[in-house]
Amino acid sequence: MIMRKHAGRIFIGCHISGRLDEENAQNSSAKIAAGAVVCVESEIRGDVTIGARTVVHPKARIIAEAGPIIIGEGNLIEEQALIINSYPENIMPDAEGVEPKTMVIGTNNVFEVGCVSQALKIGDNNVIESKSDLGRNVILTSGCIVGACCQVNACEVVPENTVVYGSNCIRRVQSEKPQSQTLQLDFLMKILPNYHHLKKTVKGSGTPVRN
Amino acid sequence: MASLLQPDRVVYLVRGEKKIRAPLSQLYFCRYCSELRSLECVSHEVDSHYCPSCLENMPSAEAKLKKNRCANCFDCPCCMHTLSTRATNIPAPLPDDPTKTAMKKAYYLACGFCRWTSRDVGMADKSVASGGWQEPENPHTQRINKLIEYYQQLAHREKQDRDRKKMARRRQCMPLAFSQHTIHVVEKYGLGTRLQRQRPGAPISSLSGLSLKEGEEQKDITIEPAPALDEVEPLPEDCYSRPISLPEVTTLRQRLLQPDFQPAGASQLHPRHKHLLMKRSLRCRKCEHNLSKPEFNPTSIKFKIQLVAVSYIPEVRIMSIPNLRNMKESQVLLTLTNPVENITHVTLAPCEDDDPDDINSTAKVVVPGKQLVLAGKDAAAEYDELAEPQDFQDDPDVVAFRKSNKIGFFIKVIPQKEEDADVTVSFKIRHDFRNLAAPVRPSEEGGAAAAPAPAESIWLTHHVELRLGPLAP
Repeated sequence: MIMRKHAGRIFIGCHISGRLDEENAQNSSAKIAAGAVVCVESEIRGDVTIGARTVVHPKARIIAEAGPIIIGEGNLIEEQALIINSYPENIMPDAEGVEPKTMVIGTNNVFEVGCVSQALKIGDNNVIESKSDLGRNVILTSGCIVGACCQVNACEVVPENTVVYGSNCIRRVQSEKPQSQTLQLDFLMKILPNYHHLKKTVKGSGTPVRN
Repeated sequence: MASLLQPDRVVYLVRGEKKIRAPLSQLYFCRYCSELRSLECVSHEVDSHYCPSCLENMPSAEAKLKKNRCANCFDCPCCMHTLSTRATNIPAPLPDDPTKTAMKKAYYLACGFCRWTSRDVGMADKSVASGGWQEPENPHTQRINKLIEYYQQLAHREKQDRDRKKMARRRQCMPLAFSQHTIHVVEKYGLGTRLQRQRPGAPISSLSGLSLKEGEEQKDITIEPAPALDEVEPLPEDCYSRPISLPEVTTLRQRLLQPDFQPAGASQLHPRHKHLLMKRSLRCRKCEHNLSKPEFNPTSIKFKIQLVAVSYIPEVRIMSIPNLRNMKESQVLLTLTNPVENITHVTLAPCEDDDPDDINSTAKVVVPGKQLVLAGKDAAAEYDELAEPQDFQDDPDVVAFRKSNKIGFFIKVIPQKEEDADVTVSFKIRHDFRNLAAPVRPSEEGGAAAAPAPAESIWLTHHVELRLGPLAP
């Protein structure tokens, strides 16, 4: 039996995820820099900061449950991608002593359709292909490509320019980083506003400086 | 219960040189011999060569010249996927005016799956989209060519010797004229055609491409034997202590796909031209008729001749299996489908006690003794609303249901083995087959153009084995 204490009352037998007042004003804690294109149909929950020139497609989900998410510039987050900063499985949400960890995502990354990323630290110029799965303990450096349907779950730092591919998730190192998607980003920033409403940007807030 | 429809649950026995049990979907039916044929009792012949990615047709002679590889397409040396050509714009000085730079296109090869590019091994970008890529030259090509020429000449000379001996000793038995070595050498270069196989004692004259033409002189080619070296290069000193960088080492598969070089380092993996695939035609060994002949065009998947077993022989499929218990009788529901357009009569019979084909069965089976009648396959039946359903008097104990050309019927199975992991039953199925391809027989009176004999029905018997799965716990 689950017991939750919420807003002075005790609820027996139900989960309460998130806080009701934040859900009512979804955009209030999402800081979207000027120049970013974030569609209204995307779901952004929690403390999320999105940098300039980032494109977030409709039906993308960015959920900051267990801590804030900071997304850099020039990223491309496609439909049904899920970027989630969630609690590790064996820790209860209200347990004490759990500090919220910030998820930091660098610049020029591509999150293709349907991927799931829980990695806490992602560098620059990575490509996370469709339906791939990144665990929470993975740290992606720069220039990595995680292939379609590949799962990277171990606790490790993936070296630069690594390609993970194949049904057995074999790896190789490529000689240069993947091509940047500037053409695609420019095209989307022109076309998406013609067909979708965009979330309001907060003027004057640049992305916080990353260490 | 999709597992009941797996093809290897119901197998038919093929009585050829070897007794083969295979599902009906993998068998062919020679309607001239009126027998089932499997892939092992037919001869395979190459019809045409084509490239799987650009679908370009190639005649066999040209294919042999190019070592069975396509001229335009490349394989990724890392993951064996097809490489695609990508273009980038690079600034290059104009030939007229060195100070101005114009954007020129440079092409490189890239793999979409593992992201390998031709720049990884140091191949420079080419300025033409196709035709600029060269495979590295094999350093041993000359020696190999010389060896091949020498062996060709040797085979030819030995063949001539054999022919001469055969003319001289006509009455003596042939095997003496052949030395083990001769057969071995000639068969090495033999093409494996049916001509060669059919006359095992005859001299092989169809070594096309390997035998010298009659007018050519016999050049005496001598080769030096390979020199044996006393000293071998020593291993590098840090061979055991140097840490291995795994991304740099090639896998065994990548290495063996390039038998010329077998590079150990990933930076020496060059792309190779793509292997050609071939279309093959199958021929019955007894009557020399074609069983399967595909179309010549690589883009077409149809067949000119397609004598597959499923379009001639009624197919048995398992529909439902109850819990099977040791030594207890259970009813299994099977379906029988009629592939031909005329009515087929099917009789089932259990295997005799001393049947030599019955080696796998682990249960007794009681099959319905009556003859089952299957309606013909009518392609227009679903659109024809006015057609009256044909009235077959079906015994409800035997026939569970009937639907156009399919019936469901019961058999009784009594498992005999305790703790059987796979209960197997077998029985014989006997059906009538109307042979429309029967050759025209001249009438016995010796008249001129006789009318084609009416297609007569013959009765065919097949041995069928079913695998019903484990006993219920």
